[in-house]
Amino acid sequence: MKLDFSFIWKAFIQILPAMPTTLFITFLSVLIGFVIGTFTAIVRIYKVPILSQAASSYVTIIRGTPMITHLLIIYYSISMLLDSLAKHYHLSFNSSSIPMTAFAIISFSITAGAYLSEVVRAGITNIDRGQIEAAYSVGMTTTQALRRIVFPQAFAVSLPNLSNTFIGMLHGSTLAFIVSVVDINAKAQIVASTNWKYFEAYIAAALIFWGITLVIERMTSLLEKRFSVFSRGGVK
Amino acid sequence: MITLTNVTKSFGKNHVLKGIDLTVNKGEVVAILGPSGSGKTTLLRCINYLEKPNKGKISIDDFNVDFSQASKNEILSLRQKTAMVFQQFNLFKNKTVVENVMEGLIVAKKWSKEAAYKKSAELLEKVGLGNKLESYPLQLSGGQQQRVGIARALALNPEVILFDEPTSALDPELVGEVLAIIRKIAKEGITMIIVTHEMAFARDVANHVVFMDGGIIVEEGDPKALFQSPKEERTIQFLKRFSEEDMYYI
Amino acid sequence: MGADFKAGLIFEYFIKLLPFIKISLIIVGSSILVGLGVGLLIALPRMYKVPIFQRVSQIYVSFFRGTPILIQLFLIYYGVPELLKLVEVDVSRIDVLYFVILTYGLHSAAFISEGIRASVSAVDRGQIEAAYSVGMDGYQAFKRIIAPQAFAIWIPILGNLLIGTLKDTSLAFTLGVMELTGQSQTLGLLNRHFIESYLALALVYFILSVFLEKGFILLENRFGKYERTSVEKKEKTFKIRNLFGKMNRDVVVVKEGTRL
Repeated sequence: MKLDFSFIWKAFIQILPAMPTTLFITFLSVLIGFVIGTFTAIVRIYKVPILSQAASSYVTIIRGTPMITHLLIIYYSISMLLDSLAKHYHLSFNSSSIPMTAFAIISFSITAGAYLSEVVRAGITNIDRGQIEAAYSVGMTTTQALRRIVFPQAFAVSLPNLSNTFIGMLHGSTLAFIVSVVDINAKAQIVASTNWKYFEAYIAAALIFWGITLVIERMTSLLEKRFSVFSRGGVK
Repeated sequence: MITLTNVTKSFGKNHVLKGIDLTVNKGEVVAILGPSGSGKTTLLRCINYLEKPNKGKISIDDFNVDFSQASKNEILSLRQKTAMVFQQFNLFKNKTVVENVMEGLIVAKKWSKEAAYKKSAELLEKVGLGNKLESYPLQLSGGQQQRVGIARALALNPEVILFDEPTSALDPELVGEVLAIIRKIAKEGITMIIVTHEMAFARDVANHVVFMDGGIIVEEGDPKALFQSPKEERTIQFLKRFSEEDMYYI
Repeated sequence: MGADFKAGLIFEYFIKLLPFIKISLIIVGSSILVGLGVGLLIALPRMYKVPIFQRVSQIYVSFFRGTPILIQLFLIYYGVPELLKLVEVDVSRIDVLYFVILTYGLHSAAFISEGIRASVSAVDRGQIEAAYSVGMDGYQAFKRIIAPQAFAIWIPILGNLLIGTLKDTSLAFTLGVMELTGQSQTLGLLNRHFIESYLALALVYFILSVFLEKGFILLENRFGKYERTSVEKKEKTFKIRNLFGKMNRDVVVVKEGTRL
């Protein structure tokens, strides 16, 4: 069996249509995860009773278990819940009416939420307390202080971690094939097995992911440069 | 005797040292003064090759090195003939106090562990830290750490001890104890080059004072003479900032 | 979607999964060993700025950090034998386990090499200068002063990596390795009690992670007793953890703020 370099290109073309699916799942999961994460982080920082313990448990458990367990548990739990609800209330839809992609997104959002919670928490708590005190002393309300002083600084500091998490979720989205979502990974498997050219197909998939990752890294470093102007004393 | 000839150093377009010539006699205590950016720390760090000069020569008695073509062995020898006391102390974090002093003896001078321990304990006693032998640097105050640093330098019995602003990183109340130690060893005839901002100390302890500004030696000479009647305009300007009250050595 | 939920089953499945911890740990342990060896090899050209090899290292690290582990598993298991057939080497009879260990090994090597680089450059520059000024040469300075301190800095990084690799091994079942996840799928299929078996699976992994974390905290305390205060250390470790508990990029640990 000769190595078919031209097939790498052909595989590349065949796999590419799955890229939007991967990107869609990743972006949505990170977005929802960010909302969950920010909420969780704030609850923990302000030590809201009961909620903050729940939040801490959530973060610890998710980060201490593999992503695939999240996916499997969420998938089967929601399906079972929906099915028993459907049976009970004689609803017209059940678990099979939900697109598989939704299961993937829900699960990945929950995963992302835990990791992003730590990123957000780090970003906020590492802002010098003096900054907030100064904000208060010039008469800002808490909301103004957060919006004008804390969040911009927190964002600049968190950029590398945010980027890491995004890339991690991008790579993690390959798990979606387990719930039959046709993402880049699943497509690669299909292309590989139908053509009996495994190496070429998977190299193509790897290159696609590598490419996306490099683009994100590049964008992040550009963003970092722009947003960190203040930390380098105004030197652009 | 230590002689520096035409030491030149630039960082990119920034000419920090513009051809320094300096002679230090054995047993002399030389203080180098000057404003920030004058190049005094860079000059000091060139002597033990922590900064690489672009041009220049150094000779320590019969040992000569041309900075522009210094070989690895020459650099090593240079560093073994000199010892430095750092502004940030730079004690070896992963070694105890006594081990810090012993390091150079064991590794560079190839002493036995027992002999090194004995000598180190003695020196630590001398700088007033005999009861801290087994402590780790992070457990000591700044003044104590710097005294260990001085003991570490003394242990090596070098041709010259280089002091890079030894008290600049210390809280004011700790400066005195370190200056006292430096005074003590100055009296013992060890050759020392001290870069410092402590004017009164320099005037009292040094045999020879060098004033640097903008990468050159503006004026040098006997401390009392230089402080009382400076000749160069730049020296006068610099010293004006330190009135007689500030000169009062505590 | 199967029978009703029976909470008691979780415990039963948990017990049934325990014997399979061994294989997962074997995979993790062997992979880390491979990773240490390869990682060191990769780190050296970059630390000493060796011309061509430095580039090769950079590309290696970028590839193994820039592509998903699942793709790497498939690529190496399905693809490498194909490649080797071209040079008349037949590896079709080698057990899947070796491929899995090789893949996780090469993957973690990329992170380990970056961890080594970060730890070494995080050592205070003043320590190195002091070492030179007492007359040590490069090798002595490294062995006696830099390496021990870099090692202490490296331990939390290694800990993260270990936990991350443990979680990654949950994917080995896709290649047919009967480890924890694979077994939990089998258990679930038996009686259609999927949720219980996957909850048991999560529990096993969680307990293992907690064990490893506590173990590493002990190690950190033992080796890093002369390092900074624990508050600072928590912050350093904190920023290292990310999605797979592995260190991707480490702007915070490295003092100069350089990227890896």
